[in-house]
Amino acid sequence: MGGDPVPGLPWPGPGAPPDSPALVDQEFDDGSLYALRSAVGAHAAAAGAGADQVYDVVAAVHELAANAVRHGPGHGRLRLWADAGFLYCQVTDGDTAGPPAGDAAPWPAEHGHGLWLIGQVADRVAISHGSGGTTATIRFAITPPGT
Amino acid sequence: MTADASAQITELAADDHACLTFGESEELFDLTAAFLRDGLAAGLRVIWLSDDGPGPALAELARRGIAAGPAVGSGQMTAAGCQDRLLDGPVFRAEAAVGWLAGELAASRREGFPGLRVAVDMSWALRPVAGVEELPRFEEGIAAELAGSTGSVLCQYDRDRFDPVTLASVAGFHTRSVAAATYYSDALLRVCRQYAPPGIRIAGELDYRAEEPLGRALAEAVRLEGGITVNMSAVSFADASCTLMIAEAARSAAAAGRAVTLACSPAAGRGFARLGIGGVPGIKLVIAGGR
Repeated sequence: MGGDPVPGLPWPGPGAPPDSPALVDQEFDDGSLYALRSAVGAHAAAAGAGADQVYDVVAAVHELAANAVRHGPGHGRLRLWADAGFLYCQVTDGDTAGPPAGDAAPWPAEHGHGLWLIGQVADRVAISHGSGGTTATIRFAITPPGT
Repeated sequence: MTADASAQITELAADDHACLTFGESEELFDLTAAFLRDGLAAGLRVIWLSDDGPGPALAELARRGIAAGPAVGSGQMTAAGCQDRLLDGPVFRAEAAVGWLAGELAASRREGFPGLRVAVDMSWALRPVAGVEELPRFEEGIAAELAGSTGSVLCQYDRDRFDPVTLASVAGFHTRSVAAATYYSDALLRVCRQYAPPGIRIAGELDYRAEEPLGRALAEAVRLEGGITVNMSAVSFADASCTLMIAEAARSAAAAGRAVTLACSPAAGRGFARLGIGGVPGIKLVIAGGR
């Protein structure tokens, strides 16, 4: 699936994930966020991120995934790539029903502290709502240890 | 929060023979420090027989804000290794060990102390010691010495290292069992009360799924008097919602004049630092590693 065009994202273009297989491609739900964080942390460290940035990447991915669990369909999929000095994390909720009607907003447009945190730590954030559900893509310039 | 026969460490009184089964050293030291601190504050004579001996024991108390130096100097407190008081080389004899306690009870009365508190780490019984089968007789003897006395003893058993049969064989001789009040505990997360210094202690992975027990723990910590410490030194992950919940509780407690300490691992501390919580008057943000 890695590299498939994602509706609503600039593709190809700056900030988009690379056209290569993802290092992590993992489904998640309420009971598996711990495993998701563990996988993201391990791969971010292996890609060269320092300890502080690993905390940030894990925190940001957790917030996106938790939004899909709590405010979306209750599950989702995370893909992570490392390419040319950047880490890309993409969370899709696969909720093909589209944004809910009425007052309820689709995740993660419910601007809370989680989204604020993501904006603080990621150097690029893109969120789109399309026929395949909601997709959030965030990018980090990899910061090696001690920098 | 706790079973019927169990008590909070701060509720122990004269002639209690309490059994503390602990799961980690942080829990052991927290409860022991509170037991000794309250004894010192009440003017009792206090003895801590630890596995590591006096140096580490006193350092542990100091780390928790309990300056035991003056009490040691005045003879109110003694810190020693179990080996030096309960064993004769590699040999344990229940009668001799109970005799040691009887002697200390008599001495503390003679010296005018209103009571005696003794904390005993039982880890020595896990080593190849001759006579260790006399352990139940030792506990039975302690119970007999303490009945009607002004002394209390806190026996400490590592629940992961002692086998259930041994624990069951000694349990009946204790008047109370002691445990930290626990708000949440599973394989990934533990949220419990901390007694020395007072507050709460969180270990593991903290996310929105634990908001409810975290809220209860914070509310109870706020209801206690004095300063509040949230010990997160063993937190490996804290999500935005829980970080915010703790930060808000800290802010409102500090605004009410309470001194708040957030003691964090680097992973937990990052979120609080990002919120600028370290700059709030009345809140001390301590991140392990000094960052």
